[in-house]
Amino acid sequence: MAKGFAVRREQVLGVAGLLLALVLPNLAVALGKPDLVTLGTQIAIYAIGAVSLDLLIGYTGLSSFGHAAFFGLGGYTVGILAFHAAGEPMFGVIPGATEAWIVWPLAIGVAGVAALAIGALSLRTEGVSFIMITLAFAEMFFFLFVSLKTYGGDDGLGFRRRNGLPGVAPRDDVAFYYVCVAALAAVLFGFSRLVGSRFGRVLQGIRQNPRRMGAIGLSTYPYKLAAFSIAGAGAGLAGALHANLLRFVSPDMLHWTMSGDFMIMVVLGGTGTLFGPVIGAAVMVLLQSWLAQWTEHWMIVMGPVLVLVVLFARRGILGLLR
Amino acid sequence: MTVLLEVRGLVRRFGGLIAANNLSFDVVEGELHALIGPNGAGKSTAIGLISGEQRPDAGRVRFDGADVTALPIAARVKAGMTRSFQITSVLPDFTALENVALVYQVRAGHSFRFWRPAAGERALLEPAGAMLARIGLGGRADVPARDLAHGEQRQLELAMALATGAKLLLLDEPMAGLGTAESQAMTDILAGLKGHTTILLVEHDMDAVFALADRITVLVYGQAIASGTPKAIRGDPAVRDAYLGEDA
Repeated sequence: MAKGFAVRREQVLGVAGLLLALVLPNLAVALGKPDLVTLGTQIAIYAIGAVSLDLLIGYTGLSSFGHAAFFGLGGYTVGILAFHAAGEPMFGVIPGATEAWIVWPLAIGVAGVAALAIGALSLRTEGVSFIMITLAFAEMFFFLFVSLKTYGGDDGLGFRRRNGLPGVAPRDDVAFYYVCVAALAAVLFGFSRLVGSRFGRVLQGIRQNPRRMGAIGLSTYPYKLAAFSIAGAGAGLAGALHANLLRFVSPDMLHWTMSGDFMIMVVLGGTGTLFGPVIGAAVMVLLQSWLAQWTEHWMIVMGPVLVLVVLFARRGILGLLR
Repeated sequence: MTVLLEVRGLVRRFGGLIAANNLSFDVVEGELHALIGPNGAGKSTAIGLISGEQRPDAGRVRFDGADVTALPIAARVKAGMTRSFQITSVLPDFTALENVALVYQVRAGHSFRFWRPAAGERALLEPAGAMLARIGLGGRADVPARDLAHGEQRQLELAMALATGAKLLLLDEPMAGLGTAESQAMTDILAGLKGHTTILLVEHDMDAVFALADRITVLVYGQAIASGTPKAIRGDPAVRDAYLGEDA
């Protein structure tokens, strides 16, 4: 019966998390802390990026250290389209766009296609080489956007309004918060279907024993590549939302420390759990925001927390809660 | 007597070491063919070259009437051969049933299906359950592979290999690490497969080899020095010198 209990406990956790997410804006008003809504939005956005990375790290056994590239590409898709919507068309022909139903799918698509290309090359390597080559590609994009002076270079690129969504006022932070929570819920649902499908079974087989998967007649490469692209697309969505939250994009989104942050969220929350990385994102954002009041070196606290979790919790924080 | 597998002049060098040196032998359809030889004779290399995990520097492998020398592993599995590993090689987090079901899934075509839960697919679970029963693991279907006893894991590997529908099984030391009773159980299982499936068996357990094999090929320094029935091999003076030596 231990198993039944564990499942119930996880469901209780899930329902509690969902309820908390739904009433957070009211809670923020009641507590007189309106910035809780922004923190919640940030958590939801990072969680989308971390959940998508978990598909690679936790399910496929691919430690990608370049997830920020796709996060940044999603963000810059929003920023660049907003820039051209307010001014000249791109290359004189491609018009800008500010409607979410155009921009967000484009951001997801751009990140997914970039991941397909980067993955096609990176996945020819394994282990440490794979970590390094994904890092190298992300750094390439970082320096590309640093050098693109048209789009602000180092300073980044701001824009005036969030992408338009029917029925959502662009200045309404609470409404945007709910949009991000809904996006996270959709990503969680989609990914949990994905990992249980035939495709997901194959990914998990590859993580556990790639040689064995070869011996039963599977070419692993196309499946790893598809997973890499899907994860990149997920990070693209997170990047698009992040750009909307701040109404600003900068090369920081593509920095290798961002890739590291996503990895930490996954490991902290629990690899191969999907819901764990949501907890990881929450812990990371909240710790950062509280500790940053005292010191900018908040990682001094975060580091030991991570070490303890890695040493004592095989499945991260979620593993402890189970 | 149809030749199912034809190995001709395989050469494979690792630096200065020659692991396969003009290696040639045939496996006839339906037989259990054992490949024996002292440590370092190149038995595992031979399995690697035949299964497609390694590429030969020279020589050819013909299987079921076609040259497969240039085919990748997956294509060779599709053509009807599969291998097991010297070191136990299952998917530890999956149950025994899930391990075998995944083989049927791969066999059924591509796995680019992203939505429907695979856990409920009877088309995969039913043949997997039947295969486990056939190999003597019927009662352990829902146990995670990591919690199975060592001998059971080896049985599971064999079930997975059989589930690919292979005409030829390349078994790399299926008795490795097994106790006496477990070895005997595995010998019985292999004996039960004889006649249904062609098997190329690499094995150190000489009792098992001489009990099971229809024919034996002896490998020394990457070369086949003799091929024949167990009786002929036992009587072969070159084999006695090179290998069976003292204790045979």
